[in-house]
Amino acid sequence: MKPPVLVIEDEHDLAEEIRFELQASGHVVKLAETWEEGLRAARAGGVAVMVMDRMLHGEDGLTIIETLRDEGNSTPVLVISALSSVDDRIRGLKAGGDDYLVKPFELRELSARVEALSRRVADSRATRLRAGPLEMDLVDRTVRRGERTIDLLPREFKLLEYFMRRPNQIVTRAMLLEDVWNFKFLPQTNVVDVHISNLRRKIDEGGEARLIVNVRATGFKLHVDD
Amino acid sequence: MWMIEFLRARAFRIAIAFALAIAMATSAVFALIYLKVSTADVERIGALLVDEAAKGAGDSDDRLRRALDLRITRDLRRLDYVALFDAKGGLAFGNVPAMPAIPVDGRAHGVPEFPLPGSNEQADPAIFVARQRPDGSVLLLGRSLLEVYALRETVFRALAIALPPTVLLILAIGAIFASRASRRLARIRKTIADIMNGDLGARLPETGEADDIDKVAHAVNLMLDEINRLLDQLKSVGDNIAHDLRSPLAVARAKIERSLKQESTIEDLRAAMADALDHLDRAGVTIAALLRISAVENEPREKSFGEVDLSAICASVFEFYEPLAQANSIELTLQAPKPTLVRGDKDLMREAISNLVDNAIKFTPAGGKVRIEAATADGRPVVRVSDTGRGVPPQEREKIFRRFYQFERDGRGSGHGLGLSIAETIAKLHGFTLTVEDNNPGARFELRGADKASLALETARS
Repeated sequence: MKPPVLVIEDEHDLAEEIRFELQASGHVVKLAETWEEGLRAARAGGVAVMVMDRMLHGEDGLTIIETLRDEGNSTPVLVISALSSVDDRIRGLKAGGDDYLVKPFELRELSARVEALSRRVADSRATRLRAGPLEMDLVDRTVRRGERTIDLLPREFKLLEYFMRRPNQIVTRAMLLEDVWNFKFLPQTNVVDVHISNLRRKIDEGGEARLIVNVRATGFKLHVDD
Repeated sequence: MWMIEFLRARAFRIAIAFALAIAMATSAVFALIYLKVSTADVERIGALLVDEAAKGAGDSDDRLRRALDLRITRDLRRLDYVALFDAKGGLAFGNVPAMPAIPVDGRAHGVPEFPLPGSNEQADPAIFVARQRPDGSVLLLGRSLLEVYALRETVFRALAIALPPTVLLILAIGAIFASRASRRLARIRKTIADIMNGDLGARLPETGEADDIDKVAHAVNLMLDEINRLLDQLKSVGDNIAHDLRSPLAVARAKIERSLKQESTIEDLRAAMADALDHLDRAGVTIAALLRISAVENEPREKSFGEVDLSAICASVFEFYEPLAQANSIELTLQAPKPTLVRGDKDLMREAISNLVDNAIKFTPAGGKVRIEAATADGRPVVRVSDTGRGVPPQEREKIFRRFYQFERDGRGSGHGLGLSIAETIAKLHGFTLTVEDNNPGARFELRGADKASLALETARS
């Protein structure tokens, strides 16, 4: 059985929605409504990812992450919070949080990020990435699909690298904006989609199968056979 | 009541303390004059007597007696004492009844009371010098201090008469200033009470004297202007938020309601739900943007500020939007040949400029142009984003930066109108202004720094 996702959230309705969403994408979910409960469950071990609301019953839970980290617990943590200033975000990540999602958020966004945290990102020291027919050399900055060499602009290379480090994983527009282009805003235009379709045009040629697919209302996925 | 208030007033207490300090200083000066007047005279007389006694003691008996005689004769005012005592202490010559109780050492000594020469009733302070002569006799010279004491008395009386009016004058001046200050403060307090009671248009009185109170009043007035502006903005924002959130919610609700009422297939229900979700998402975007604005506003100013090159930011935004412009058949150009250095937060500046470019591309029809420029003009850093869309009519130019303001440009897509508000909030945080002008055709958004923004950096660099 897959290790469970521990959700620490005191707002019952939201906790239930998160549970449904995560279960729908194939996770086992454990709920906790207080810090004590959450801490106990986290210490019991075997948790894949923790999703915690930063404020529980009016108490800031950043110390919980710090306590766990001090105890040597390295379970990835996604902090959800209504505190959205850059400062709050930095403090949340400094305390040991791995990702920070600001309320209100879309459940699909949350589940994509939990997915990202639950998978090990390919070794960042690797100099070659491989995903299905795609092969990327990070030193020579070259990309091949099978035998065919693909010519990419630097910005396209960066984008494809992000996908190749997360094969078969849902990547949201917000994740791309934040991680690839370091943007903290949501454009009113379809600028992200245009970047994706430009990249797509270069990696899929003729009758080749589409590698980067749209995931309805959520984002994109690099779809390859494992 | 007014009197008690007045006496309690800080300004009056300061005036009292000030008057007391001046009175004390004046008294001290007077006391010093008084002391100096008397002691200097006594010292002078003493020194004279010592010299004369030393000279006379060495003279022969005859000469001495003649000199003493002459001295008595010349002393018309009868203030001098002279005497010669033989070796046994008997009075040989002179105008003193007996030897005063002083040591025979040739130095000046004061005697508190001694009868005046030729008078047995009046006794006054006097100063004496006694000196032994070679033959054992003793020469005594002295002078009554009657005159000195009279002078002392006069000075003292003069001071006593002069001091009270001086103190009163100082107090009066202090009171006048204090009452003026306290009346001004009372007026200010009353104005503040008025403002607190809802008269938001009231302003603190400014006299234009540029003194401390005036400066504070001016600063408070500026603050009140800003608060007023924000309150006004808040009022219209409240209405707009309600509208912006309510319409998508209402549409979503109506869609769900209708599809539940009708006998629909699962597919119909799905389609209606997906539609409703889109509308809810729109409400979500509005909330997210609103939170972003308040986050930017609450960003601790200056904390994350560093040297930022606006030209480099424009270049990166250009690169990010180039594919979108191409896809929409819009010619996107960049003109930022030289670094444009300012103090600021890099991420926020990038967000502001991206919002402008995003907005420009959104409102420019196919075949149009969008141009990004960064430069330093008249010593002020400027970022210009111009498009060839329909432009912004003059009467709308102020409003478009308002939160939630939205007007139909080109009728293409209805942006939530918050991108420009976010850009403006960021501009303000940096001391920049964001304005929109006519681009003939289209709109030209200008993000312009205060001249200080670049100057400060220039001096810091040189």
